[in-house]
Amino acid sequence: MLHFAQILSYGFLNGALYGLVALGLSLVFGVMNYLMVAHGALIMLAAYVTFWSFFYFHLDPFVFILLVMPAFFALGWILFKILYQSLMKYPEGEKIKNSLLISFGLLLIFSNLAILFWTADERAVTTRYSGKVIEILGVRLPYIGLGGLALAIIVIIALHLFLTRTYFGKAIRAVSLDHEAATLMGINVNKVCLVAFSLGFALAGIPGVLTSLHAFNPAISFDLTNKALIVLVLAGVGSIKGVLIGGLFLGAIEAAGVYLVGTPYREVFGLILFVLILMFRPQGLAGRKG
Amino acid sequence: MFRVEHVDVCYGDIQALWDVSISVENGELAALVGSNGAGKTTVLKAIAGLLKPRKGTITVDNLQTHVMDAYKIVEMGVVLIPEGRRLFREMTVLENLEIGSFIGRARKGKNEKLKWVFSVFPILEKRIHQTAGTLSGGEQQMLAIGRGLMSDPKLLLVDELSLGLAPLIVKNIYGTLREINRSNKVTILVVEQNVRLALKIADRGYIIENGRITGEGKGGDLLSSEKVKAAYLSMG
Repeated sequence: MLHFAQILSYGFLNGALYGLVALGLSLVFGVMNYLMVAHGALIMLAAYVTFWSFFYFHLDPFVFILLVMPAFFALGWILFKILYQSLMKYPEGEKIKNSLLISFGLLLIFSNLAILFWTADERAVTTRYSGKVIEILGVRLPYIGLGGLALAIIVIIALHLFLTRTYFGKAIRAVSLDHEAATLMGINVNKVCLVAFSLGFALAGIPGVLTSLHAFNPAISFDLTNKALIVLVLAGVGSIKGVLIGGLFLGAIEAAGVYLVGTPYREVFGLILFVLILMFRPQGLAGRKG
Repeated sequence: MFRVEHVDVCYGDIQALWDVSISVENGELAALVGSNGAGKTTVLKAIAGLLKPRKGTITVDNLQTHVMDAYKIVEMGVVLIPEGRRLFREMTVLENLEIGSFIGRARKGKNEKLKWVFSVFPILEKRIHQTAGTLSGGEQQMLAIGRGLMSDPKLLLVDELSLGLAPLIVKNIYGTLREINRSNKVTILVVEQNVRLALKIADRGYIIENGRITGEGKGGDLLSSEKVKAAYLSMG
């Protein structure tokens, strides 16, 4: 029983990370129907940047979040202008297809550049608190995992408040519901999309930093995108709170699978869940589009 | 103050408007009437900047708006209440109204505007925290007009507000529009299939047929003209 509680709590802590992994992708898809499958590669890049900044300057990864977010925001801004701006005029289905193609290209380019520059070796940032745990009722919880959970909750609450309490946040939601009606309110839809897209990049920075604290290599880009897509489907399009719940749910399902069947099959359960949700509840657990 | 001059509009290769000219003076309530598919909505979309004319000019206070982006035209005070209302259905009544006052000019006087909208449509205040999608059709139309008023319009364009609403509600809402036009000096252009209703309340009317303006005059004069009687009021 204790063994199960241990595996389940690891599952939840992983799940919080999955929520963060999916957050940026979910935001971008919700606002402008761009399927940014390169999101996992962005997280991988952020992990490398964190790794090298720790290696050379001994910057604490959690503090480094404050630097990596604006840097990735800027990267998103530039890539939107170069690659994604021209897709704005297409109808919904075309947007999904074209953005998917461009993003898949980016995913391959970023992953291969990472191998070229930094090799395919596994790396991890090892801080003073790496490997330290806190024990509650016999269940050991690593500091880093708890830090990730706390970050996930803080970031999702902050994003929720931004989207519901500020004029610009409300404009983002209005654009996600109806581009033309938003235009008629005097909202510059292009600019809102540019900012939301860049924000999605900035949000890749946070799970990137957390990923750097575990073992990682360039190939995790694909795994991370995979997790993000599963969480997106679980949460449903347009639900920010659903992303955290979806992430935790995925983490718990994986943990249960590991406990019942075995570690090698961990990835399988997420994918089975993905298929089941698409078959029986395609709007997601908390989604809005039927 | 507001002029559409010799405007042609096309959807791809298909021309929808030919040489359309309309003018509305400050403080007027004008109506553009015609049957389904005549091009009424196209005219409003061109004015709001959602469609760009192939030929001709559109000016507000002598400033050319047809070259501007649609969101900038809203900042000029030209506000369209679109056909089908186009509310943000999953946002609350209050949030819809707040988004209405998004542009800088409107944001300053937001609270007074909100009070005014609630005094014009008291039902909206009762529904303030409900999501827009849960309102009845009439309430949704009121919210759409309220949202438009929040943008502090100088020229309010109203597209087909009678669509899908009970006649009594339509009459009430038109009465309210007339009130807003008279007491707040908002210039209004309505587009309407219900020819009799629109021409009755309008100072000035235009008739559009197959993408061309075929008649104009005072609302009352048009209503009593033989041509309108024959074509639209089945009194020929």
